[in-house]
Amino acid sequence: MNTVEIHIKRREKPGAPQHWEIFEIPYRPNLNVISCLLEIRKNPVTKSGQKTTPPSWDMNCLEQVCGICTMVINGRVRQSCSALVDNLDQPIKLEPMTKFPNIRDLVVDRSQMFDHLKRVHAWVELDGTYDLGPGPRMDQEDVMERYAYSRCMTCGCCLEACPQYDEDHYIGPQAIAQVRLFNMHPSGAMDRDERLQGIMGDDGITNCGNAQNCVKACPMNIPLTKAIYEENRETVLYGLLGWLKK
Amino acid sequence: MAIRLSRTFILRKLHQLTGIMPLGIFLLEHFYTNSKALSGPGDFNNAVKDLQSIPYILLVEIGGIFIPLIYHAVYGLVITVEARPNNLHYPYARNWFYTIQRVTGIILFFFITFHVLNFRFGMIPGLNTLSVAHHPEQSFEIVSREFHNVWIFIVYVIGITATVWHLANGIWLFLVDWGITIGERAQRLTGYACIAIGLLLLAVGINAAIAFIKPGGLIPGLM
Repeated sequence: MNTVEIHIKRREKPGAPQHWEIFEIPYRPNLNVISCLLEIRKNPVTKSGQKTTPPSWDMNCLEQVCGICTMVINGRVRQSCSALVDNLDQPIKLEPMTKFPNIRDLVVDRSQMFDHLKRVHAWVELDGTYDLGPGPRMDQEDVMERYAYSRCMTCGCCLEACPQYDEDHYIGPQAIAQVRLFNMHPSGAMDRDERLQGIMGDDGITNCGNAQNCVKACPMNIPLTKAIYEENRETVLYGLLGWLKK
Repeated sequence: MAIRLSRTFILRKLHQLTGIMPLGIFLLEHFYTNSKALSGPGDFNNAVKDLQSIPYILLVEIGGIFIPLIYHAVYGLVITVEARPNNLHYPYARNWFYTIQRVTGIILFFFITFHVLNFRFGMIPGLNTLSVAHHPEQSFEIVSREFHNVWIFIVYVIGITATVWHLANGIWLFLVDWGITIGERAQRLTGYACIAIGLLLLAVGINAAIAFIKPGGLIPGLM
Protein backbone atom coordinates (compact mmCIF):
# COMPACT_ATOMS: atom_id res chain seq x y z
CA MET A 1 0.00 0.00 0.00
CA ASN A 2 1.69 3.20 -1.18
CA THR A 3 -1.15 5.64 -0.77
CA VAL A 4 -3.97 6.36 1.65
CA GLU A 5 -7.39 7.26 0.24
CA ILE A 6 -9.43 9.59 2.40
CA HIS A 7 -13.04 10.63 1.85
CA ILE A 8 -14.07 13.79 3.67
CA LYS A 9 -17.66 14.96 4.08
CA ARG A 10 -17.37 18.69 3.63
CA ARG A 11 -19.57 21.71 4.23
CA GLU A 12 -18.56 25.22 3.25
CA LYS A 13 -20.52 27.06 5.92
CA PRO A 14 -23.49 26.47 8.26
CA GLY A 15 -26.59 25.61 6.26
CA ALA A 16 -24.69 24.85 3.04
CA PRO A 17 -25.18 21.34 1.60
CA GLN A 18 -22.70 18.62 2.49
CA HIS A 19 -20.66 16.87 -0.18
CA TRP A 20 -17.90 14.28 -0.30
CA GLU A 21 -14.38 15.00 -1.50
CA ILE A 22 -11.79 12.30 -2.15
CA PHE A 23 -8.11 12.81 -1.38
CA GLU A 24 -5.07 10.62 -1.76
CA ILE A 25 -1.84 11.02 0.17
CA PRO A 26 1.39 9.02 0.21
CA TYR A 27 1.50 6.31 2.84
CA ARG A 28 4.06 6.31 5.60
CA PRO A 29 4.13 4.21 8.77
CA ASN A 30 2.35 5.40 11.95
CA LEU A 31 0.05 7.90 10.24
CA ASN A 32 -3.01 8.92 12.20
CA VAL A 33 -6.08 10.67 10.84
CA ILE A 34 -4.85 14.09 12.00
CA SER A 35 -1.50 13.69 10.24
CA CYS A 36 -3.41 12.72 7.09
CA LEU A 37 -5.50 15.89 7.38
CA LEU A 38 -2.32 17.96 7.89
CA GLU A 39 -0.88 16.36 4.76
CA ILE A 40 -4.02 17.23 2.76
CA ARG A 41 -3.94 20.78 4.08
CA LYS A 42 -0.40 21.29 2.73
CA ASN A 43 -1.68 20.82 -0.80
CA PRO A 44 -5.49 20.68 -0.95
CA VAL A 45 -5.96 18.94 -4.29
CA THR A 46 -8.51 16.14 -4.67
CA LYS A 47 -7.65 12.72 -6.05
CA SER A 48 -9.00 13.74 -9.46
CA GLY A 49 -6.60 16.70 -9.48
CA GLN A 50 -9.05 19.50 -8.64
CA LYS A 51 -7.87 22.33 -6.42
CA THR A 52 -10.05 22.84 -3.38
CA THR A 53 -10.06 24.64 -0.03
CA PRO A 54 -8.08 23.12 2.86
CA PRO A 55 -10.38 21.04 5.08
CA SER A 56 -11.26 22.38 8.54
CA TRP A 57 -11.19 20.34 11.73
CA ASP A 58 -10.56 20.84 15.44
CA MET A 59 -7.52 19.49 17.25
CA ASN A 60 -5.56 20.26 20.36
CA CYS A 61 -3.90 17.75 22.68
CA LEU A 62 -3.20 14.97 20.15
CA GLU A 63 -3.21 12.34 22.92
CA GLN A 64 -6.92 11.58 23.42
CA VAL A 65 -7.47 13.62 26.55
CA CYS A 66 -9.06 16.83 25.25
CA GLY A 67 -11.80 15.35 23.07
CA ILE A 68 -11.94 18.24 20.59
CA CYS A 69 -10.83 16.23 17.52
CA THR A 70 -13.80 13.83 17.79
CA MET A 71 -15.36 12.90 14.45
CA VAL A 72 -17.13 10.00 12.76
CA ILE A 73 -14.46 7.76 11.22
CA ASN A 74 -15.66 4.89 9.02
CA GLY A 75 -19.14 5.25 10.54
CA ARG A 76 -18.01 5.21 14.15
CA VAL A 77 -17.44 8.14 16.45
CA ARG A 78 -13.95 8.47 17.96
CA GLN A 79 -11.01 10.82 18.39
CA SER A 80 -9.10 11.35 15.15
CA CYS A 81 -5.74 11.79 16.94
CA SER A 82 -5.81 8.21 18.23
CA ALA A 83 -7.25 6.72 15.01
CA LEU A 84 -4.22 5.07 13.40
CA VAL A 85 -4.30 4.56 9.64
CA ASP A 86 -2.72 1.12 9.99
CA ASN A 87 -5.76 -0.02 11.99
CA LEU A 88 -8.41 1.47 9.69
CA ASP A 89 -10.13 0.04 6.62
CA GLN A 90 -9.55 2.03 3.45
CA PRO A 91 -10.86 4.26 2.06
CA ILE A 92 -11.01 6.17 5.34
CA LYS A 93 -14.31 8.03 5.56
CA LEU A 94 -14.33 11.14 7.73
CA GLU A 95 -17.61 12.81 8.69
CA PRO A 96 -18.45 15.46 11.27
CA MET A 97 -20.49 14.35 14.28
CA THR A 98 -24.18 14.30 13.32
CA LYS A 99 -25.81 15.21 16.63
CA PHE A 100 -24.33 18.71 16.91
CA PRO A 101 -24.62 21.78 14.63
CA ASN A 102 -22.03 21.46 11.86
CA ILE A 103 -20.04 24.70 11.43
CA ARG A 104 -17.75 23.75 8.57
CA ASP A 105 -16.28 20.49 7.23
CA LEU A 106 -15.44 18.41 10.32
CA VAL A 107 -16.00 21.20 12.88
CA VAL A 108 -19.10 21.05 15.11
CA ASP A 109 -20.48 23.30 17.84
CA ARG A 110 -20.76 21.28 21.05
CA SER A 111 -21.89 24.11 23.31
CA GLN A 112 -25.13 22.23 24.12
CA MET A 113 -23.03 19.93 26.29
CA PHE A 114 -21.75 22.94 28.22
CA ASP A 115 -25.35 24.14 28.61
CA HIS A 116 -26.26 20.73 30.06
CA LEU A 117 -23.41 21.00 32.60
CA LYS A 118 -24.72 24.40 33.71
CA ARG A 119 -28.25 23.05 33.99
CA VAL A 120 -27.28 20.13 36.21
CA HIS A 121 -25.11 22.30 38.48
CA ALA A 122 -21.98 20.29 37.63
CA TRP A 123 -19.73 21.85 40.25
CA VAL A 124 -19.33 21.96 44.04
CA GLU A 125 -20.30 25.21 45.77
CA LEU A 126 -17.24 26.50 47.53
CA ASP A 127 -17.87 30.23 47.81
CA GLY A 128 -18.56 31.69 51.23
CA THR A 129 -18.02 34.94 53.10
CA TYR A 130 -15.83 33.12 55.62
CA ASP A 131 -13.31 30.28 55.65
CA LEU A 132 -15.27 27.05 55.14
CA GLY A 133 -12.40 24.89 56.39
CA PRO A 134 -11.22 21.63 54.85
CA GLY A 135 -13.79 19.48 53.04
CA PRO A 136 -15.14 16.28 54.54
CA ARG A 137 -13.17 13.08 54.10
CA MET A 138 -14.27 10.66 51.42
CA ASP A 139 -14.37 6.87 51.34
CA GLN A 140 -11.52 5.53 49.18
CA GLU A 141 -13.94 3.46 47.10
CA ASP A 142 -16.01 6.56 46.38
CA VAL A 143 -12.85 8.43 45.45
CA MET A 144 -11.98 5.77 42.90
CA GLU A 145 -15.48 5.69 41.48
CA ARG A 146 -15.59 9.48 41.25
CA TYR A 147 -12.21 9.47 39.53
CA ALA A 148 -13.71 7.44 36.68
CA TYR A 149 -16.51 9.98 36.20
CA SER A 150 -14.10 12.90 36.53
CA ARG A 151 -12.23 11.76 33.43
CA CYS A 152 -15.04 12.93 31.12
CA MET A 153 -13.58 15.27 28.49
CA THR A 154 -16.96 16.34 27.04
CA CYS A 155 -16.03 14.92 23.64
CA GLY A 156 -19.60 13.92 22.76
CA CYS A 157 -18.96 10.30 21.66
CA CYS A 158 -21.70 9.04 24.00
CA LEU A 159 -24.25 11.46 22.54
CA GLU A 160 -23.24 10.72 18.95
CA ALA A 161 -23.62 6.95 19.50
CA CYS A 162 -26.90 7.27 21.45
CA PRO A 163 -30.01 6.30 19.43
CA GLN A 164 -32.14 8.46 21.75
CA TYR A 165 -30.06 11.65 21.45
CA ASP A 166 -31.22 13.81 18.58
CA GLU A 167 -31.67 17.55 18.26
CA ASP A 168 -30.99 18.03 21.96
CA HIS A 169 -34.20 16.21 23.04
CA TYR A 170 -32.37 14.25 25.73
CA ILE A 171 -29.88 15.51 28.27
CA GLY A 172 -27.69 12.46 27.66
CA PRO A 173 -25.14 10.29 29.50
CA GLN A 174 -22.42 12.97 29.59
CA ALA A 175 -24.40 15.30 31.89
CA ILE A 176 -25.93 12.45 33.93
CA ALA A 177 -22.46 11.07 34.75
CA GLN A 178 -21.46 14.52 36.01
CA VAL A 179 -24.56 14.58 38.22
CA ARG A 180 -23.32 11.32 39.68
CA LEU A 181 -19.80 12.73 40.11
CA PHE A 182 -20.98 15.75 42.09
CA ASN A 183 -23.79 14.02 43.99
CA MET A 184 -21.21 11.54 45.29
CA HIS A 185 -19.12 14.39 46.70
CA PRO A 186 -19.99 15.04 50.36
CA SER A 187 -20.15 18.83 49.85
CA GLY A 188 -21.57 18.52 46.35
CA ALA A 189 -24.43 16.39 47.72
CA MET A 190 -25.88 19.53 49.30
CA ASP A 191 -27.08 20.56 45.82
CA ARG A 192 -28.36 17.08 45.01
CA ASP A 193 -32.00 18.06 44.42
CA GLU A 194 -31.04 20.89 42.11
CA ARG A 195 -29.06 18.43 39.99
CA LEU A 196 -31.88 15.90 40.05
CA GLN A 197 -34.26 18.65 38.91
CA GLY A 198 -31.87 19.29 36.03
CA ILE A 199 -32.12 15.69 34.77
CA MET A 200 -35.84 15.20 35.46
CA GLY A 201 -37.24 17.57 32.85
CA ASP A 202 -39.06 16.67 29.65
CA ASP A 203 -35.68 15.95 28.03
CA GLY A 204 -34.41 14.19 31.14
CA ILE A 205 -33.02 10.87 32.26
CA THR A 206 -36.23 8.93 31.46
CA ASN A 207 -35.47 9.41 27.76
CA CYS A 208 -32.64 6.88 28.11
CA GLY A 209 -33.49 3.82 26.00
CA ASN A 210 -30.85 1.50 27.52
CA ALA A 211 -29.17 0.77 24.20
CA GLN A 212 -25.91 1.20 26.13
CA ASN A 213 -23.92 2.46 23.14
CA CYS A 214 -22.64 5.30 25.32
CA VAL A 215 -20.58 3.08 27.55
CA LYS A 216 -19.16 1.22 24.53
CA ALA A 217 -18.31 4.41 22.64
CA CYS A 218 -16.75 6.26 25.59
CA PRO A 219 -13.01 6.64 24.90
CA MET A 220 -12.33 7.21 28.62
CA ASN A 221 -14.10 3.98 29.68
CA ILE A 222 -16.42 5.88 32.02
CA PRO A 223 -19.12 3.57 33.50
CA LEU A 224 -21.85 5.73 31.97
CA THR A 225 -24.69 3.21 32.30
CA LYS A 226 -23.87 2.76 35.97
CA ALA A 227 -24.12 6.53 36.42
CA ILE A 228 -27.48 6.58 34.62
CA TYR A 229 -28.88 3.73 36.75
CA GLU A 230 -27.56 5.30 39.98
CA GLU A 231 -29.37 8.49 38.99
CA ASN A 232 -32.48 6.49 38.06
CA ARG A 233 -32.44 5.31 41.66
CA GLU A 234 -31.94 8.84 43.02
CA THR A 235 -34.69 10.32 40.84
CA VAL A 236 -37.08 7.56 41.97
CA LEU A 237 -36.17 7.90 45.67
CA TYR A 238 -35.95 11.67 45.98
CA GLY A 239 -38.02 12.80 43.01
CA LEU A 240 -40.86 10.35 42.46
CA LEU A 241 -41.19 9.19 46.09
CA GLY A 242 -40.11 12.51 47.64
CA TRP A 243 -43.71 13.46 48.52
CA LEU A 244 -43.90 10.51 50.94
CA LYS A 245 -41.54 12.37 53.28
CA LYS A 246 -43.69 15.50 53.37
CA MET B 1 -35.56 21.50 47.85
CA ALA B 2 -38.79 20.17 46.44
CA ILE B 3 -38.32 18.46 43.10
CA ARG B 4 -40.95 19.22 40.49
CA LEU B 5 -41.93 16.25 38.34
CA SER B 6 -42.08 16.95 34.62
CA ARG B 7 -44.81 15.56 32.39
CA THR B 8 -42.41 13.32 30.47
CA PHE B 9 -40.90 11.95 33.68
CA ILE B 10 -44.32 10.88 34.99
CA LEU B 11 -45.48 9.47 31.63
CA ARG B 12 -42.28 7.43 31.20
CA LYS B 13 -42.36 6.07 34.74
CA LEU B 14 -46.02 5.09 34.23
CA HIS B 15 -45.10 3.42 30.95
CA GLN B 16 -42.31 1.42 32.62
CA LEU B 17 -44.58 0.48 35.53
CA THR B 18 -47.65 -0.55 33.52
CA GLY B 19 -45.49 -2.91 31.45
CA ILE B 20 -44.74 -4.97 34.56
CA MET B 21 -47.82 -4.29 36.59
CA PRO B 22 -50.52 -4.98 35.59
CA LEU B 23 -49.58 -6.10 32.05
CA GLY B 24 -46.71 -8.48 32.90
CA ILE B 25 -48.69 -10.00 35.75
CA PHE B 26 -51.69 -10.32 33.45
CA LEU B 27 -49.61 -12.22 30.88
CA LEU B 28 -48.64 -14.75 33.57
CA GLU B 29 -52.34 -15.16 34.46
CA HIS B 30 -53.19 -15.48 30.75
CA PHE B 31 -50.59 -18.25 30.21
CA TYR B 32 -51.84 -19.97 33.37
CA THR B 33 -55.40 -20.04 32.06
CA ASN B 34 -54.27 -21.09 28.57
CA SER B 35 -52.30 -23.97 30.08
CA LYS B 36 -55.54 -25.33 31.51
CA ALA B 37 -56.13 -26.53 27.95
CA LEU B 38 -53.39 -29.12 28.48
CA SER B 39 -55.76 -31.21 30.58
CA GLY B 40 -58.66 -30.93 28.17
CA PRO B 41 -61.48 -28.65 26.97
CA GLY B 42 -63.50 -29.03 30.19
CA ASP B 43 -60.77 -27.60 32.42
CA PHE B 44 -60.11 -24.71 30.06
CA ASN B 45 -63.82 -23.83 29.76
CA ASN B 46 -64.18 -23.93 33.55
CA ALA B 47 -61.18 -21.64 33.91
CA VAL B 48 -62.77 -19.12 31.53
CA LYS B 49 -66.03 -19.40 33.44
CA ASP B 50 -64.18 -18.77 36.72
CA LEU B 51 -62.57 -15.64 35.29
CA GLN B 52 -65.98 -14.38 34.22
CA SER B 53 -67.22 -14.79 37.80
CA ILE B 54 -64.56 -12.47 39.25
CA PRO B 55 -66.40 -9.78 41.27
CA TYR B 56 -66.45 -6.35 39.54
CA ILE B 57 -65.14 -8.15 36.42
CA LEU B 58 -65.99 -5.20 34.14
CA LEU B 59 -64.01 -2.77 36.34
CA VAL B 60 -61.13 -5.22 36.66
CA GLU B 61 -61.05 -5.72 32.91
CA ILE B 62 -61.24 -2.02 32.06
CA GLY B 63 -59.03 -0.67 34.85
CA GLY B 64 -56.61 -3.58 35.11
CA ILE B 65 -56.20 -4.48 31.46
CA PHE B 66 -57.71 -2.19 28.84
CA ILE B 67 -56.63 1.22 30.18
CA PRO B 68 -53.04 0.20 31.06
CA LEU B 69 -52.79 -1.76 27.80
CA ILE B 70 -53.94 1.13 25.62
CA TYR B 71 -51.71 3.56 27.55
CA HIS B 72 -48.64 1.30 27.28
CA ALA B 73 -49.27 0.67 23.58
CA VAL B 74 -49.93 4.25 22.52
CA TYR B 75 -47.17 5.83 24.62
CA GLY B 76 -44.86 3.04 23.48
CA LEU B 77 -45.46 4.14 19.89
CA VAL B 78 -44.63 7.73 20.90
CA ILE B 79 -41.31 6.49 22.34
CA THR B 80 -40.67 4.39 19.23
CA VAL B 81 -41.11 7.40 16.95
CA GLU B 82 -38.27 9.17 18.83
CA ALA B 83 -35.81 6.31 18.22
CA ARG B 84 -32.91 6.76 15.79
CA PRO B 85 -31.60 3.17 15.54
CA ASN B 86 -27.92 2.88 14.53
CA ASN B 87 -27.37 -0.86 14.86
CA LEU B 88 -25.22 -1.22 11.77
CA HIS B 89 -22.57 1.20 13.02
CA TYR B 90 -22.82 0.15 16.67
CA PRO B 91 -23.70 -3.57 16.51
CA TYR B 92 -23.74 -4.36 20.23
CA ALA B 93 -26.18 -6.81 21.85
CA ARG B 94 -27.91 -4.17 24.00
CA ASN B 95 -28.27 -1.90 21.01
CA TRP B 96 -29.99 -4.74 19.14
CA PHE B 97 -32.21 -5.36 22.17
CA TYR B 98 -33.11 -1.65 22.07
CA THR B 99 -34.28 -1.94 18.47
CA ILE B 100 -35.95 -5.34 18.93
CA GLN B 101 -37.89 -4.01 21.94
CA ARG B 102 -39.38 -1.36 19.65
CA VAL B 103 -39.99 -3.77 16.75
CA THR B 104 -41.74 -6.30 19.02
CA GLY B 105 -43.73 -3.39 20.46
CA ILE B 106 -45.04 -2.52 16.99
CA ILE B 107 -45.79 -6.22 16.28
CA LEU B 108 -47.67 -6.40 19.60
CA PHE B 109 -49.68 -3.29 18.82
CA PHE B 110 -51.19 -5.05 15.80
CA PHE B 111 -51.20 -8.57 17.24
CA ILE B 112 -53.00 -7.65 20.47
CA THR B 113 -55.54 -5.54 18.58
CA PHE B 114 -56.21 -8.55 16.35
CA HIS B 115 -56.22 -11.02 19.26
CA VAL B 116 -58.66 -9.00 21.40
CA LEU B 117 -61.03 -8.43 18.49
CA ASN B 118 -60.73 -12.07 17.40
CA PHE B 119 -61.42 -13.79 20.74
CA ARG B 120 -62.60 -11.29 23.35
CA PHE B 121 -65.13 -9.68 21.00
CA GLY B 122 -65.36 -12.05 17.98
CA MET B 123 -65.36 -9.09 15.65
CA ILE B 124 -62.81 -9.92 12.91
CA PRO B 125 -64.81 -10.22 9.65
CA GLY B 126 -64.59 -13.68 8.13
CA LEU B 127 -63.23 -15.25 11.31
CA ASN B 128 -64.72 -16.25 14.67
CA THR B 129 -67.90 -14.31 15.55
CA LEU B 130 -68.38 -15.49 19.15
CA SER B 131 -66.96 -13.70 22.18
CA VAL B 132 -65.04 -16.19 24.31
CA ALA B 133 -65.90 -14.18 27.42
CA HIS B 134 -69.64 -14.49 26.74
CA HIS B 135 -69.55 -18.16 25.68
CA PRO B 136 -67.26 -19.80 28.24
CA GLU B 137 -68.79 -23.21 27.64
CA GLN B 138 -67.66 -23.05 23.98
CA SER B 139 -64.37 -21.24 24.54
CA PHE B 140 -62.04 -24.21 23.87
CA GLU B 141 -63.91 -25.02 20.70
CA ILE B 142 -63.78 -21.41 19.48
CA VAL B 143 -60.00 -21.19 19.99
CA SER B 144 -59.39 -24.67 18.61
CA ARG B 145 -61.38 -23.90 15.45
CA GLU B 146 -59.32 -20.74 14.82
CA PHE B 147 -56.00 -22.45 15.52
CA HIS B 148 -56.73 -25.19 12.99
CA ASN B 149 -56.28 -22.49 10.36
CA VAL B 150 -52.49 -22.68 9.83
CA TRP B 151 -52.12 -18.95 9.06
CA ILE B 152 -53.89 -17.92 12.23
CA PHE B 153 -51.81 -20.35 14.26
CA ILE B 154 -48.63 -18.87 12.77
CA VAL B 155 -49.84 -15.38 13.63
CA TYR B 156 -50.36 -16.51 17.22
CA VAL B 157 -46.94 -18.17 17.45
CA ILE B 158 -45.30 -14.95 16.21
CA GLY B 159 -47.46 -12.94 18.61
CA ILE B 160 -46.63 -15.11 21.62
CA THR B 161 -42.91 -15.01 20.80
CA ALA B 162 -42.93 -11.23 20.42
CA THR B 163 -44.90 -10.84 23.67
CA VAL B 164 -42.51 -13.03 25.64
CA TRP B 165 -39.45 -11.24 24.25
CA HIS B 166 -40.99 -7.84 25.02
CA LEU B 167 -41.81 -8.86 28.59
CA ALA B 168 -38.54 -10.67 29.38
CA ASN B 169 -36.45 -7.76 28.09
CA GLY B 170 -38.98 -5.40 29.66
CA ILE B 171 -38.33 -6.84 33.11
CA TRP B 172 -34.62 -6.14 32.63
CA LEU B 173 -35.42 -2.61 31.46
CA PHE B 174 -37.71 -2.00 34.42
CA LEU B 175 -34.97 -3.09 36.83
CA VAL B 176 -32.46 -0.60 35.44
CA ASP B 177 -34.97 2.20 34.83
CA TRP B 178 -36.10 2.16 38.44
CA GLY B 179 -32.54 2.01 39.73
CA ILE B 180 -32.86 -1.50 41.14
CA THR B 181 -30.10 -3.04 39.01
CA ILE B 182 -27.12 -0.69 38.82
CA GLY B 183 -23.64 -2.18 38.39
CA GLU B 184 -22.23 -3.97 35.37
CA ARG B 185 -22.17 -7.39 37.04
CA ALA B 186 -25.71 -7.01 38.34
CA GLN B 187 -26.82 -6.00 34.84
CA ARG B 188 -25.26 -9.15 33.42
CA LEU B 189 -26.75 -11.46 36.06
CA THR B 190 -30.26 -10.00 35.77
CA GLY B 191 -29.80 -10.34 32.01
CA TYR B 192 -29.27 -14.08 32.36
CA ALA B 193 -32.25 -14.32 34.70
CA CYS B 194 -34.44 -12.54 32.14
CA ILE B 195 -33.28 -14.89 29.36
CA ALA B 196 -34.25 -17.86 31.59
CA ILE B 197 -37.64 -16.30 32.35
CA GLY B 198 -38.15 -15.63 28.64
CA LEU B 199 -37.32 -19.19 27.56
CA LEU B 200 -39.59 -20.64 30.23
CA LEU B 201 -42.49 -18.36 29.31
CA LEU B 202 -41.98 -19.09 25.62
CA ALA B 203 -42.17 -22.85 26.23
CA VAL B 204 -45.28 -22.47 28.39
CA GLY B 205 -46.99 -20.07 25.98
CA ILE B 206 -46.34 -22.09 22.82
CA ASN B 207 -47.18 -25.40 24.49
CA ALA B 208 -50.53 -23.98 25.65
CA ALA B 209 -51.28 -22.84 22.09
CA ILE B 210 -50.41 -26.30 20.75
CA ALA B 211 -52.81 -27.85 23.30
CA PHE B 212 -55.70 -26.36 21.31
CA ILE B 213 -54.82 -28.34 18.19
CA LYS B 214 -53.10 -31.38 19.72
CA PRO B 215 -54.60 -32.80 22.94
CA GLY B 216 -52.14 -32.56 25.83
CA GLY B 217 -49.76 -30.15 24.08
CA LEU B 218 -46.44 -30.89 22.40
CA ILE B 219 -45.53 -33.87 24.60
CA PRO B 220 -48.76 -35.25 26.11
CA GLY B 221 -48.45 -36.73 29.57
CA LEU B 222 -45.11 -35.00 30.21
CA MET B 223 -46.30 -33.38 33.42
